[in-house]
Amino acid sequence: MTTIAADPHDVHAHDHHDADHKPGFFARWFMSTNHKDIGTLYLIFAICAGVIGGAISGLMRHELAQPGIQYLHSWAMLMDGPDATLDQAYHLWNVLITAHGLIMVFFMVMPAIIGGFGNWFVPIMIGAPDMAFPRMNNISFWLLIPAFLLLLGSTLVPGGTGNGAGTGWTVYAPLSTSGSPGPAVDLAILSLHIAGASSILGAINFITTIFNMRAPGMTLHKMPLFVWSVLVTAFLLLLSLPVLAAAITMLLTDRNFGTVFYDGLRGGDPELYQHLFWFFGHPEVYIMILPGFGIVSQIVSTFSRKPVFGYLGMAYAMVAIGVVGFVVWAHHMFTTGMSVNVKMYFTAATMVIAVPTGIKIFSWIATMWGGSLTFKTPMVWALGFIFMFTVGGVTGVVLANGGIDDALHDTYYVVAHFHYVLSLGAVFALFAGFYYWFPKFSGRMYNEVLGQLHFWVFFIGVNILFFPMHFLGLSGMPRRYPDYPEAFAFWNQIATHGYDIMAVGVLIFFINVFWSLFAGPKAAANPWGEGATTLEWTLSSPPPYHQFETLPQID
Amino acid sequence: MNSPSIPASSDLARRNRRVLVMAALVALGSLGLGFAAVPLYRIFCQTTGFGGTTQRADETVVVKPVAGRTMSVRFDSNVAPGMPWEFYPEHPTDTVEIGARDMAIFIAKNVSDKPVTGTAVFNVTPTQAGAYFTKIQCFCFTEQTLQPGEQMRMPVIYYVDPKILDDPDNKDTQQITLSYTFNPVEPK
Amino acid sequence: MNIAKTLVMAGLLAFAPAVVASPAAFAQDSATAIGNAADSAPATAPAEAANAVAPAETAAAPAAAVPAPPRLKPTEGVGMPRPGEITLQEQFTDTGRQARWIHDAVLLPVITVICLIVLALMLFIIARYRRGANPTPSRTSHNTLLEIVWTVAPILVLVVIAVPSISLIAEQYRPAPKEALTVKVTGYQWYWGYEYPDQGIGEFVSNMLPPEKAVENGEPYLLAADNRLVLPAGRPIKLIITAADVIHSFAVPSLWVKMDAVPGRLNEKAFTIEKPGVYYGQCSELCGARHAFMPIAIEALPPAEFDAWVRSQGGDPAGNANGEAPQTAAAAAPAPAAPRI
Repeated sequence: MTTIAADPHDVHAHDHHDADHKPGFFARWFMSTNHKDIGTLYLIFAICAGVIGGAISGLMRHELAQPGIQYLHSWAMLMDGPDATLDQAYHLWNVLITAHGLIMVFFMVMPAIIGGFGNWFVPIMIGAPDMAFPRMNNISFWLLIPAFLLLLGSTLVPGGTGNGAGTGWTVYAPLSTSGSPGPAVDLAILSLHIAGASSILGAINFITTIFNMRAPGMTLHKMPLFVWSVLVTAFLLLLSLPVLAAAITMLLTDRNFGTVFYDGLRGGDPELYQHLFWFFGHPEVYIMILPGFGIVSQIVSTFSRKPVFGYLGMAYAMVAIGVVGFVVWAHHMFTTGMSVNVKMYFTAATMVIAVPTGIKIFSWIATMWGGSLTFKTPMVWALGFIFMFTVGGVTGVVLANGGIDDALHDTYYVVAHFHYVLSLGAVFALFAGFYYWFPKFSGRMYNEVLGQLHFWVFFIGVNILFFPMHFLGLSGMPRRYPDYPEAFAFWNQIATHGYDIMAVGVLIFFINVFWSLFAGPKAAANPWGEGATTLEWTLSSPPPYHQFETLPQID
Repeated sequence: MNSPSIPASSDLARRNRRVLVMAALVALGSLGLGFAAVPLYRIFCQTTGFGGTTQRADETVVVKPVAGRTMSVRFDSNVAPGMPWEFYPEHPTDTVEIGARDMAIFIAKNVSDKPVTGTAVFNVTPTQAGAYFTKIQCFCFTEQTLQPGEQMRMPVIYYVDPKILDDPDNKDTQQITLSYTFNPVEPK
Repeated sequence: MNIAKTLVMAGLLAFAPAVVASPAAFAQDSATAIGNAADSAPATAPAEAANAVAPAETAAAPAAAVPAPPRLKPTEGVGMPRPGEITLQEQFTDTGRQARWIHDAVLLPVITVICLIVLALMLFIIARYRRGANPTPSRTSHNTLLEIVWTVAPILVLVVIAVPSISLIAEQYRPAPKEALTVKVTGYQWYWGYEYPDQGIGEFVSNMLPPEKAVENGEPYLLAADNRLVLPAGRPIKLIITAADVIHSFAVPSLWVKMDAVPGRLNEKAFTIEKPGVYYGQCSELCGARHAFMPIAIEALPPAEFDAWVRSQGGDPAGNANGEAPQTAAAAAPAPAAPRI
């Protein structure tokens, strides 16, 4: 082990003559301070977490394939021992929904889109040699590992009726306090604390990097939109995650030290928790989707061979979404019995978000208008993103209506809505970005045929999976149910087929990745041609271990 | 950053640290706001009547009743799980003149064989009436102790603020429900 | 406490352990009906009560002179989801109709048109501006007018949506008149408790019917409950809703009702059911293991039959069972704190 990696400036001092000198395996991957290596670690971590989270959704989807309890009881016997009761099986269901939500949000989408792509490409796109605080960057990543292990570990210890935290990802009190004895919920909360700390450190790092490390001439208004999106996201993280930390810290003290912050029976208020959670939770959904907006902007511009249409409008639309995102949180709480004026306010404020979102959709379309379009895999995913996000967005406008939400709240309509914006929105953006930058970070081209096939199979699968959930929600099927009345059987069965198709799509993705990593043709510095104008395409594929020893001049 | 080889990089390190400190302060401020939300939320509820939080006035308050304008008031009672009390209003409803003081009686009985101390939490519905429901005296202001088998009549003295008549949100409010939940206080 | 009520409670208590003991174990763990439970502890009601279709009615029968109306059969597809349904359930309240109209006639067309416009634009672009059809890209990256238009147009659409939407919310919050039938609803893990304070009907609990029982009754499994919440059709109803342990949510899709039941806090919901029938709903806030197994079944009866039902439960249909407080010129002088009796 060398001491080189311990200090980035040492690295520069020693490696002055060879930008591609890499430390040994352990030092490189476990003590890494290189933004590209950390980005790679984040991507690998996110893919692993995504496989686990996706497998959990497969378990749930197949349990829901038909009415009645199919497999749940035998899974409970695996988890809790052969004499697991039916109640423990139902509890296991709640553990599954909780784990799926937390894993996908905190350990898949966020690490991939911010930690992975953000780390890899924000410094390069602004012409910086690395992140502002390389060692803090390392800590950000490695905090995620214990956080994830704590969450997985929580499923093995008692959490009330059975093992594991069965509170939903929202961890509402008092179900999460007096309603869930046992250490599982404590472990899950600690996991969130650590994951939150990791993200806050990451956010500080991105803000500092983007403010201070831009190459000469790279003004804020010249930054690529992906960098803008990460900047806005970092501010959202910085402002919202501490509120979550405070909220769940009070959950911990309520659970363990006899405080009554959220105990409605003892002078506290469970709705305070909901307010705090959603004050974090609503910006959180933008944290997951804004970098996706940035990725799609880059891709659409590249494959249209045109600069982004209405660049400033696009940048400030993201700022607007971020700002307005902080004042709409209670639309998640329309059925808590809030006052009429409050409900009207949150209805109106929520609908306002449709305006900047509309600007983005129309600007992407205008970017393509008059362009010279090629439909390489990343572009196909970006096009899929634009349409699917529109579908998910408009059902958001439906749900924003407080009076309509009285019927749709906590039904599958909500599940359909947020999967359209996240599972078809954020995840499409992730795949788009992955294919777009795969040549850059691996140095090899992916297989175009497999990429296209992946898109179409996945696209068909997720639509069959999630579109029928609108119908289920409209006709009244509540969320978080392991069993349902006969009448909901048809669409549930269809949705389950959709899951299977989607899973095949994911399989194609992995085949493509492994094939391309080992046998893909070598990628040129810029495989996308004249449309790709951002700085990462001026570097070799993969870029040298230390890029921009002399800072580029932007004009 | 212990090897500032070139001046530019030491300058950058200083600027980076400044942004780091500012961002960390923002995060800390946000964290503080999260905790401060507890008292702020309580104050917000108490001043605006948000969530059906009732108002409180002292004995000396003078309110002019509005002749001929009445409000029906319903009394609702609950006990928390593990609270060995019976607790119910003497009458489930009452009709009061708006602005006039009225007294309602709740009856509580300790059905256990130990002395039990309890406190009551409360709110009113519809929630928009909270800002106009004013208590002058209430058993819920203090802890109450009942000996084994003891029964107590507990009064609450209140009035409905005449300003409710000017509030468009309450123009259809004909009945206000006052709800209490008694819960045990752990012996200290 | 009158004897009929005691018997009702006893019958319910007898029912509870019987169901708990059954292998399906879909019942509550312990009845916690406050105020009544303590007095009626010895569960001496006949054991058959536990097996009756409506134990409350059976148990009360010996004491009440009036027989309960027969248990209403649900109409297939009314007040419950239909197989393969793709729309909102048929509505049986004013606000439900209004809300469903806003969804079906305003929101759904608007969002469909928006999606189709975006799709059409994209398909056109894909065909017209593909590399083969348009080898040289334009360099246009601004058009102020266009940008203003696509900012203002969505605002206008939103205003069009907001007007009926806001008035719907106002309508939904219109409080019930004071003569409305008031029912107290309490959520427990994992069953519902219903109480009629003015009619003097003490709290009874409503558990999910086990599958074979639901089938026998011709009711949908997971929606059917043993003791239904019986309400009058055509009369204003006010539910006051709370919970004893964790947050639940009282939801009936065909009445457009969804209101959280929060421990330590009361919520209210007012509505009028337009016609008699059975309306089903399900708990709609995650409340622990049996969250999916605490359905809501409302039986709306014609007013006369409802009154008969109230009498069969030993209650007072006029709603004066416990009387209104006497007109007191109370508290001109401060009352003594907590007088003891």
